[in-house]
Amino acid sequence: MKLNQLEFVNRKKVESDYEALQERLRTLPNKLSYDIMVPFGPLAFMPGKLVHTNEVTVLLGDNWFSKCSAKQAVELIEHRKKHVRKVLDDLQKVMKNFESRAEFTDLQKMSDAAGDFVDIREEIEDVSIETKGKYRTAHKPHSKPKLSNVFEVDFPANGSDTKSMGHFQSEEELWAHLEELERQEELLGELDRMPNTAETNGEDTSSSEEEKEDKRTDLNGMYRAEDCITQGNFHKEVTNSDLFGGQVNGSTYYHSDDEDDIDVGDNSVPTIFFSHTVEPKRVRINTGKNTTLKFSEKKEEANRKRKNSSGNGHATPELPNIKTPADIYRFFVDVVNGEYVPRKSILKSRSRENSVCSNTSDNSAAEFDDRQGVQRSISCDEATQSDNSESILEEEEEEEEEGQQQLPKKLLPSSGTTEAFSGTVIEKEPLSPSLIPHPVIAHPILPTILERKSEEVLSKASEETPKRISKFKAARMQQPS
Amino acid sequence: MAEQIQKKLQGELEKYQQLQKDLSRAVAARQKLEAQLTENNIVKEELELLDATNTIFKLMGPVLVKQEMEEAKGTVGKRLEYITGEIKRYEQQMQELERRSEQQRETLGRLQQELQRGQGKG
Repeated sequence: MKLNQLEFVNRKKVESDYEALQERLRTLPNKLSYDIMVPFGPLAFMPGKLVHTNEVTVLLGDNWFSKCSAKQAVELIEHRKKHVRKVLDDLQKVMKNFESRAEFTDLQKMSDAAGDFVDIREEIEDVSIETKGKYRTAHKPHSKPKLSNVFEVDFPANGSDTKSMGHFQSEEELWAHLEELERQEELLGELDRMPNTAETNGEDTSSSEEEKEDKRTDLNGMYRAEDCITQGNFHKEVTNSDLFGGQVNGSTYYHSDDEDDIDVGDNSVPTIFFSHTVEPKRVRINTGKNTTLKFSEKKEEANRKRKNSSGNGHATPELPNIKTPADIYRFFVDVVNGEYVPRKSILKSRSRENSVCSNTSDNSAAEFDDRQGVQRSISCDEATQSDNSESILEEEEEEEEEGQQQLPKKLLPSSGTTEAFSGTVIEKEPLSPSLIPHPVIAHPILPTILERKSEEVLSKASEETPKRISKFKAARMQQPS
Repeated sequence: MAEQIQKKLQGELEKYQQLQKDLSRAVAARQKLEAQLTENNIVKEELELLDATNTIFKLMGPVLVKQEMEEAKGTVGKRLEYITGEIKRYEQQMQELERRSEQQRETLGRLQQELQRGQGKG
């Protein structure tokens, strides 16, 4: 097809040349002789005269020339132009054929690609699910829907599969479908799916509503491949992902149904980023009292935000990045007198209330939602969406840029309000970003290390640092209170 | 046994490749002839458009040689016929080459099968 186009262009050029030539020929005999500058070699000109303006020697082709008058030459040119036009027409026909064929194949490719993508996604999901299960057995992990690796394609309005983007529709649909399925799986398996509904509007609702929303959310084309470890709120993740995807503020605002609509609109060109970042997995651990997640603060923030904004959502905004078994321990940190104390046994469940990990659905959800909401709010100018917070959290963990910067600001204000930090604490803080840079932290030193790490991480990630710090501070502030 | 087959296979493969080359050469030549054909057709038509008053030249190397109208027309016509003849010849050649390359392919396939069988046994 390209070749054809090239030829087409060439032919057009030729024809235009002929036209110009004709013009020149017509004007040439007007005068008996012209004063011109004759080219003298490649670099010089010489003044001269053009005489016999009516005589033209025309190349007929194949080394044949003929001397003729200007008018006759014009006729010859006309005749040649006819030829060129004929060739042009033929080329056009061929091009049309190609185009129609190309369209057909493109559609095929798109669907195929979507299929491929879908497949890929499934794999990831499976992995996440597996990991999730692991945690489950250990304790009741309250998995927050982390930003799933779900490929989030902007899916405008769940219900509406109609996507403006032609090709993407099939892909998006597939993804959406996939997401739904995953979510359903999660829902079934998930213990503590925080009733994301409540809160955060988009997040929870999305989860409940799911399918629809999920689709939407993530699709903003941003595929945040945050490895969401068996996020309970899968859909949330989706929504979160949407958030991420919607780095564009407000664009990926999925959380509430209403949001959905908004999101829908915002769905930008679906871009798929498969980034396998540590999943901020929120694991709710039914641990006894004083179990706190490192990032509980964040959760608190999120929760706070959430509460401020909306009802309760999932508490655990960020799911901790758990890369090694040791990480699990890290997350199970008890808060004793405001300090982090590594827990001896992560299986033992303390009083729910104090446990950070305990996922009192409401609380955790709330927290989670809050966090998300916070984050989201920043990005989306809406605080409440738990989903947002989640997504944001995830983002943070993932070290996503954009929205996160704004988050810290939000978090700070939210720090003022004490969240239900007491109750649900997300064990696994989405220290993913920090975790990511620092693979493993010694267990006993978990609390400090974590904090340090977080701080380090913060320092690293310019964008993230502000957030983390704020979160921690906020959490810390809350804890004493 | 397998080695023999392999050698034979190599030989046949080379022959096949040679045939392919010939085929492509023939195709290229034919394309050139086709271009000349079109051009000569244009020349013929343009000659029709001209009348006897203007002189016709033929470029022979660096020289433009004057020609008569009829002469020129005659020459162009003959050239046209020559070109068409050439094209036909090349067509035939191409068909022949195609047929032979098909045969070669068959033999190649057969030999490959034998080779595999031999290898399997061994």
